[in-house]
Amino acid sequence: MVQERRILYEHLDVPDINTFDVFRQYDGYKRFEKAINEYQPDDISKMVMDSGLKGRGGAGFSTGLKWSFVPKDIKPCYLCCNADESEPGTFSNRYVLERNPHLLIEGILICCYAMGIETTYVYIRGEFTLGKKMLDAAIAEASAKGYLGKNILGTGLDVDIYTHPGAGAYICGEETGLIESLEGKRGQPRNKPPFPAVEGVFKKPTVVQNVETLCNLPFIVGNGVEWYTQMGPTYGDARFDPPKPDPNTGTKLYCISGDVNKPGVYELDLGLTCTELIEVAGGLRGEEVKAVIPGGSSAPILTHYELDTRLDFTSLTLAKSMLGSGGIIVMNETRNIVDCLLNIMKFYAHESCGQCTPCRWGTPWVRDIVQRIADGKGRQSTITRPKFGIAENGRWGDTGETEEIYEDLDLLESVANNIANVDTMTWNTICVFGIAVSWPAVSYMRKFRPEFEACIREGKLVTLSVAEATMKPEENYAYQQRIIPREME
Amino acid sequence: MSDEIIQIETPFQFTEENRLEFDKLMGRYPVKEAAMLPTLHLAQKQEGYISPAVMRYVAELLEVSLMKVKDVVTFYPMFFEEPVGQYVIRVCHTLPCALRDCKVVLEHLKTKLNTDVAAETDLAKGTTSDGRFTLMKVECLASCDVAPVIMINDDLHRNLTPEKVDEILDNLE
Repeated sequence: MVQERRILYEHLDVPDINTFDVFRQYDGYKRFEKAINEYQPDDISKMVMDSGLKGRGGAGFSTGLKWSFVPKDIKPCYLCCNADESEPGTFSNRYVLERNPHLLIEGILICCYAMGIETTYVYIRGEFTLGKKMLDAAIAEASAKGYLGKNILGTGLDVDIYTHPGAGAYICGEETGLIESLEGKRGQPRNKPPFPAVEGVFKKPTVVQNVETLCNLPFIVGNGVEWYTQMGPTYGDARFDPPKPDPNTGTKLYCISGDVNKPGVYELDLGLTCTELIEVAGGLRGEEVKAVIPGGSSAPILTHYELDTRLDFTSLTLAKSMLGSGGIIVMNETRNIVDCLLNIMKFYAHESCGQCTPCRWGTPWVRDIVQRIADGKGRQSTITRPKFGIAENGRWGDTGETEEIYEDLDLLESVANNIANVDTMTWNTICVFGIAVSWPAVSYMRKFRPEFEACIREGKLVTLSVAEATMKPEENYAYQQRIIPREME
Repeated sequence: MSDEIIQIETPFQFTEENRLEFDKLMGRYPVKEAAMLPTLHLAQKQEGYISPAVMRYVAELLEVSLMKVKDVVTFYPMFFEEPVGQYVIRVCHTLPCALRDCKVVLEHLKTKLNTDVAAETDLAKGTTSDGRFTLMKVECLASCDVAPVIMINDDLHRNLTPEKVDEILDNLE
């Protein structure tokens, strides 16, 4: 069985770790001191680049690379820490903020030192009142001890950290939405480019990082790059010759919820499989796994055939899904996928910011279609059409059979794909919210089509058995397309 | 024509304590407008909701147009434009909580408080007749491991069952 490896969460349960003195006993701020005493700012950036750290917020973009885009000659430069944790199924940042806020401050200090940043805004979602209180207290304490403010530890380094409360909008977790919200406006994402690294908050270069990403920094500096890269797999990107290393290094705070016996946050090396994670989380609650959402509600769903997929950035991307923020939601055989999709679509219809027309009108439309199907009023055509698939000659084409037309399923796919096309990965919206809507909509429908069809056919919400409800791998386009990456030697 | 102005709203002003808090906020941002969300939070804490008078006051403080304040207030679900109960009960109903029977908790709260669920544009619908509670559904509260969860004002309550809800409500007073 895979063992937990607690690094970020190691001292989470130590009593009073939220106070400066106790945190100090557990190496607190020593890694920051090491950074300013032993390294130049550029050395830190290089270490982060070499460590292969990928942003933990959702996109999985290389942190070192992001830092390298920031122009060095434009000052001031800002750091925005994204603590607007709102992706359904994700809850790891909350524990850091509530129990170990000094770790985040230390991470912020290291980032500020490396990038020459003097002001940091921590955007905390409005519902995290306790987290904000704890972080504010920790900031006050660190300032009193001389670790924040002007001329830190006599080195001439100035860093100020301010907390900024959100007000319940999911879209403010998107980096440009966050910036707009921080500027006191509606949290509507901006067109990119310019990217925040060039023109972000208050029109100045801005580094936006997730809480978990920043919390990794003290350990990279403290224990070195070599130690860090031992954890997690490094794949070879086969598009290059020789294969380019694609690191998925470090640990991840996997948040697992839904039908498992011990839901919670588990810190594990990247790269374990779905089955292993469910085992770590106390096993399945129920008889068999029907579906797993691997990266927050925006991620395409995995069927029970795909449970051997490794949960890391590269493997999941190549399996046509994503690790996202690491929120894993498990569903057992009693769950109805139509009902689950309806729940998620209600979420997106509610949270669309309303800026782009395809998303503003498309999300409620998709929700209404799913609602109709769940109510047993799904539309089915009386005529049939030729069925396309793998024909006798082994190629895609007319199979010679006919299939029934489920108008609402075609419509669902068409509307969702017009918000953002999941096959070409292009979106008709400003931000990636569009793809976050159409990914679940299309993937649930394609992978669990028999259940959707049954609901329409029988005119009521029907829950099929796992075997019946799931598309067979050979008929599952996403499954056929998936690639299993190879580790570098 | 008389010069008399018909008073249609109660005027609003920060208390001294909140004014100090606001002054502290001002030092944090290079532009005043950026303090919008924290200022509105502060005002809502004092007044209970964002009345037109609050918006006017905040607009003056931050030197922005009233329209801009209204723009922000209508965007964020945490700002209320009408009075709410003394206790605002937020029930999470997103997928992880739904998988753990949040419906039971919500239905129980509805019968117990004898009220409907508030709509975003009609908070009165979810407010009890004595004005003590406002019941509303919210999206994910980021506590899916201890689902189902509700938030009563600033406090999160975890792993709920109808019995636990009773206990929590009885202890409120």
